[in-house]
Amino acid sequence: MTPIDRWFTHLSRALAQRTSRRSFLGQLAAVLVGGAALPLLPVARGRALARTGVPGEPDPATPVGDPGNCDYWRHCAIDGFLCSCCGGSQHACPPGTEQSPVTWIGTCRNPADGKDYVISYNDCCGKHICGLCFCHTNKGDKPIYYPSRSNDINWCYGTTSVVYNCSTAIVVQVATQ
Amino acid sequence: MLRGNGTVETPSSIRGRTVARRRVIRIALLLALLPAVRVAADVQPEPMGQVERLAQPFHAHWVWVGDLVLERAALMDLDSGRFLGLVNGGYGTITPLFPSRRPELYVPATYFARRTHGERTDVLEIYDIPTLSFVAEVVLPPKRATNAVALGHAALSDDDRFVAIFNWTTGQSLSIVDVEQRRLTADIATPGCSLVYAAGPRRFVSLCGDGAVLSVTLDDDGHEASRTRSEPFFDPQADPVTEKAVRYGNQWLFVSFEGKVHPVDVSGPQIRFGEVWSLATDAERSERWRIGGLQHSAVHQQTGRFYALMHRGGPDTHKDPGEEVWIYDLASHRRLDRVKLVNPGLTVYGFPIEVGRTWIWPFNRLPDWLIDTFAPAAIAAIQVTQDDAPLLVTASQYTGSLGVYDALSGKFLRRVLPTGWTSDILLAPWDGKGKP
Repeated sequence: MTPIDRWFTHLSRALAQRTSRRSFLGQLAAVLVGGAALPLLPVARGRALARTGVPGEPDPATPVGDPGNCDYWRHCAIDGFLCSCCGGSQHACPPGTEQSPVTWIGTCRNPADGKDYVISYNDCCGKHICGLCFCHTNKGDKPIYYPSRSNDINWCYGTTSVVYNCSTAIVVQVATQ
Repeated sequence: MLRGNGTVETPSSIRGRTVARRRVIRIALLLALLPAVRVAADVQPEPMGQVERLAQPFHAHWVWVGDLVLERAALMDLDSGRFLGLVNGGYGTITPLFPSRRPELYVPATYFARRTHGERTDVLEIYDIPTLSFVAEVVLPPKRATNAVALGHAALSDDDRFVAIFNWTTGQSLSIVDVEQRRLTADIATPGCSLVYAAGPRRFVSLCGDGAVLSVTLDDDGHEASRTRSEPFFDPQADPVTEKAVRYGNQWLFVSFEGKVHPVDVSGPQIRFGEVWSLATDAERSERWRIGGLQHSAVHQQTGRFYALMHRGGPDTHKDPGEEVWIYDLASHRRLDRVKLVNPGLTVYGFPIEVGRTWIWPFNRLPDWLIDTFAPAAIAAIQVTQDDAPLLVTASQYTGSLGVYDALSGKFLRRVLPTGWTSDILLAPWDGKGKP
């Protein structure tokens, strides 16, 4: 018996003594399945929302037309939790929260008509972070010293509470420049 | 059977001797086990009310990990992997400040009387570090900025005397606290300028929307003595610097979205701006390498090494997590190394996901191999310890775990977990040699 044969014999006997075949296979499967899922874990993914489409917007069955998806066209400059996943919508806050009147803006292209729109990302305030559908796309985002284009600022101001819950993405107008 | 002395043994005499031998072995075993049983029965009663203290001087490999969700900063020993303790904070990111002369720390915090509503109270909390216990607080104007960025929102003057807290109400100002006398001394308006960085014994600087630096000097009473505003040193439209600057001696190193390093020298009466240099070559930029993350820079003071968290991505990816750390010599701006990062490990609800750790070698390495091979590094924050054998520490935003590397060789050493639920800032305040 070669040393390699002896090593494997010893290894397999030791393994057999310590674990039942069923438990070994079960744990191996858990690792393999879990491992396959690992790349998915840190990535925030909005869940598809069964909604009727907004006139002039892409098909809600596609990511760019789904307000619960990070790839929704209005979310090009967002950094936060999507109100669409948290009891609100792309333009309304969840029940019991209050919409901030001041905010940052982004400019996003609507693939349905090819036009650029000014999007106002008003925060919803008064309850702790929703924790669902975290997205950050950051198009045109600037640091905090440039407030009007900074999505890292807590924009819960002019509201009763500065506690941040989620972010909406409201169409303001067609961008003119 | 014939024995050596010539006597003949019968089967019954052999059996009798075997039985007697077994009895002796059994008694010996019982005697051997007896002390163990006695020890188990004799665990001494222990005094109640014991509380651990942190030993001084505080170790260089003790690192604080901010946790936005659990609203705390936890202290981890990178050598032993032990969780040493924590300080809580209020609403928002938690960034303790550490004086070099006193064994205490300061935490700016915001509280509501009813957690999400009710009267708002902002305070600067003072903790004793050996006991991690609350000592005192100074009440602040209730307008502290509670933004998603942890860095640049409070600073301790270089003489350890005054803390400046950045306020944001859509207007900008600094609250000044004398931490020796533990009292609020001033509220200094900084119109058009945000954030705060220490810049001398009695001076703080802020960044302005046009790319300039506002410098505010305090008098001995903590009031504004003078202010100057520089010419812009970068273009916020073309290539803004991030808020996540790192201090190297008397320089602040601000890095732009495109990876240009802007040194800001705060040693003299006038703020001076050093030679701008680039982290990436043209070829590397064409491969879309750029800096990014929540805390993307670190410095090892003693060796003058600069650590940059890099990833491949296009414009607007300045907050994306990193996959490599690039190490530079600050004297020559020459890159010394590129360190490929691994995922620091996964935790859920404070539990590490480590199926198979107890399996027999080499199968017990399978989980690490799977994470190293398939999970993206997804590093949001880096830090370097300030001792002779420095460690590079990495963290991913969505897990409570740390990756630990040799900061000089770049070799991956181990994972330290769990630290909590999330990780949004890493602080390594002590060199392990001097005070406190």
